[in-house]
Amino acid sequence: MDESLNPAARRERSRAATGRVTRIVRAVGWISLIAGVLVLGFVFQQLFVTSWLAERNQTALEEDARVYFEDVEVVEVPVSEVQGLSTDEGGEDAAVVPDDMRRLLVEARPEAHQPFAIIRAPGIEALEEGWTVVEGVERSDLKNGAGHMPHTPIPGQPGNSVISGHRTTYGAPFGDLDRLEPGDRIEVETALGIHGYEVRETIIVDPFALWVTEPRRGAWLTLTTCHPKFSSRERMVLFAELVDGPNAEVILAS
Amino acid sequence: MNRWFAALPGPTPVKVLVAVVVAVMAVVALFFLYDWIGTNLLDSGGTFE
Repeated sequence: MDESLNPAARRERSRAATGRVTRIVRAVGWISLIAGVLVLGFVFQQLFVTSWLAERNQTALEEDARVYFEDVEVVEVPVSEVQGLSTDEGGEDAAVVPDDMRRLLVEARPEAHQPFAIIRAPGIEALEEGWTVVEGVERSDLKNGAGHMPHTPIPGQPGNSVISGHRTTYGAPFGDLDRLEPGDRIEVETALGIHGYEVRETIIVDPFALWVTEPRRGAWLTLTTCHPKFSSRERMVLFAELVDGPNAEVILAS
Repeated sequence: MNRWFAALPGPTPVKVLVAVVVAVMAVVALFFLYDWIGTNLLDSGGTFE
């Protein structure tokens, strides 16, 4: 403190210093307030706005899917013509029922972004009422609900059908995927009817583990979502096997 | 805030209109930013890269 200043000058200097501190505190307060509002806005938008949008779109998508069920072309194909399913090469069942006698119901592939299936898991809150599945896993597809990976078979067909969905945002169709345990049932409704799957295994992989989408013998449903919740660091992958439905008997016998 | 509002062009009704349009555009831009952050960091939808 400069002792040479008179009391009035000292008071003036003190007042100026106090004014600076007040301005800094006020600025910090405003910045904190704005940052808080922005963060709260982010949480509100991610958890509530995205879910509201997805659930609103679901109503229209389910109606579109029901119309699609009526319109889509369904054909019967002899098992002998289905790649990877024929037992003519010497499988035990071939002698009991020849492949050309057993027929698989096949529906036409949906076009991109077309709602074509409804997935449900009884007893699991997020999937209890069902989510409409659209063809494609682009960001715009997944904002509406669950999306089917285009190069994989349609649910209810032989091979490995892959469906992806959000874990925490956009209605979180696969928010409770971790609650499904081996033996639990998952249903996928398509134009052919309801295909019942039983959960076999759930694993955690990195986001590059494309091998989980590779073809498998039999008929499998693979569900993929982000892991852990509120992060896209890893993927949770659930494998379920077809146990009943319009094609189950034919596929399981092959 | 008052200074920004006063700096807007035109009479008061026009100023109010411009302020509302700017505010709406800011909220929409903010939601797009939120969406981008959310999709890239929070929940990408579970697909593979």
